[in-house]
Amino acid sequence: MMKPNNVDITATMSLCPHCLARIPAERRTEGDDTFLVKSCPDHGEFRTPVWRGEPRISSWSRPKKPFHSGTHLPLEPRGCPFDCGICPKHRQQSCTVLIEVTGRCNLACQFCFAAAGTGDDPSLETIEKWYLTALEKSGPHNIIQLSGGEATLRDDLPAIITMGRELGFPFIQLNSNGVRLAADPAYARELKKAGLFSVFLQFDGTDDRIYQTIRGRALLAEKLKAIDHCAAAGLGVVLVPTIVAGVNSDNIGAILKLALELSPAVRGVHFQPASYFGRHPGVPKTCERVTLPDLMRAIEGQTGGLMKKEHFCPPGCEHPLCSFHGNFLRLPSGELKSLTTPAAECTIETVGTGRAVSYVAQQWSAPAPVSCCCDTNSLDAFLENHHSNTFAVSAMAFQDVWNLDLERVQECCIHVVAPDNRLIPFCLYNLTSAGGKPLYRRRPC
Amino acid sequence: MSVSNEASGWSCSICGGELEITKVAFTYMKGNFEVDLPACRSCGQVLVSEELATGKMAAAERILEDK
Repeated sequence: MMKPNNVDITATMSLCPHCLARIPAERRTEGDDTFLVKSCPDHGEFRTPVWRGEPRISSWSRPKKPFHSGTHLPLEPRGCPFDCGICPKHRQQSCTVLIEVTGRCNLACQFCFAAAGTGDDPSLETIEKWYLTALEKSGPHNIIQLSGGEATLRDDLPAIITMGRELGFPFIQLNSNGVRLAADPAYARELKKAGLFSVFLQFDGTDDRIYQTIRGRALLAEKLKAIDHCAAAGLGVVLVPTIVAGVNSDNIGAILKLALELSPAVRGVHFQPASYFGRHPGVPKTCERVTLPDLMRAIEGQTGGLMKKEHFCPPGCEHPLCSFHGNFLRLPSGELKSLTTPAAECTIETVGTGRAVSYVAQQWSAPAPVSCCCDTNSLDAFLENHHSNTFAVSAMAFQDVWNLDLERVQECCIHVVAPDNRLIPFCLYNLTSAGGKPLYRRRPC
Repeated sequence: MSVSNEASGWSCSICGGELEITKVAFTYMKGNFEVDLPACRSCGQVLVSEELATGKMAAAERILEDK
């Protein structure tokens, strides 16, 4: 059989959404759109969009040398993705390690990768073991993201942060919905004093109707208060919108404009198209899938060209199809200048996580407090001014059981410490079948 | 190393003079900066440490060159 001229096919592997059996898959590009197509002998064919339109998928790549550091080998190997730990075939080291300090949450969101709500908290001794696992398997120069559930529900969170700092991790970040940060101005100061450097703040939009739909109640005022409190405490804030087609996909420009108004306290925006694992409202239709190029074009369209798709680069760390990023300088005139020069930066060959960790950590940290110093000509002032006015925009496309591409997973650098002390790529750790059966995550008791 | 300590233990290779911390002006492209650095009391020759050259000065250079 001949393939049509305008079809390009790349082979990969995936899982059946129903039985989680490993099955062959292909990235099938038809014209401007790419689908992950796979067929299970028992459950039929599945076809999910993974890339749509410009920038073209054929142009979206970046040279990278594989970095093998995994040593986990089960007694009876079953192959990827069943032997995670991470295994010697994994081609990337960690740049971010998630530690889930609670399964509890104070919201009941429509979308939640952790399906959080109830459950017991791990002890401080257990969390120390997880820190030590991260240290042993990937060294201290990672971003440690304390997550959950809602990590701020633990009253001993400052002690957990301090423990991580004392074990040698310089960059400890909090993944939070902001509810407690908003309620108590002293809390952000307490976390800062404990050693926190930034907050990854769930922030889905500038309109409470969005929060009502995705998070179950109005939250905008609390989000803004949480940002104020973090800014006053000297904590960098990155806004993290979950983008759901038809809910907040038309609010992308408004989120960016508000984030720019709130910078430099807000260091940037990290978009995450909704993934369908954990708790979610059901399998999306093809048109409800938001792909990375959809996002790039929406950013350009909804900011009136303030940010353009040409300003974004593929990652030097994870697989190119997993993310994009761009940095911008706020000029005194109010205009934005792109700091990303795709012709140069996007073609730099990287090894391992390269400069990604230190660069991202620097960008996401709070700017220096405004001082009364008049020494505006100093080199320090010049560099700090540049840092304060740099604004980062990025996005990450997590994979669920429908669009899972094992080649992408094998280059993942965002790992979760599992309760049994294995490091597991984020998407695999959270992946659930169409019927809700987890691949790795244990259900709360 | 603190700035004041940076000047101690050095002498000028041109005139043999002692170094003292001085506000030194740098100009590169359109950027003008002042940095406290050890400089010769007699002839003004400046000592730029490797840390400064490869750290903050290199960072400023990259920004000004738009790299």
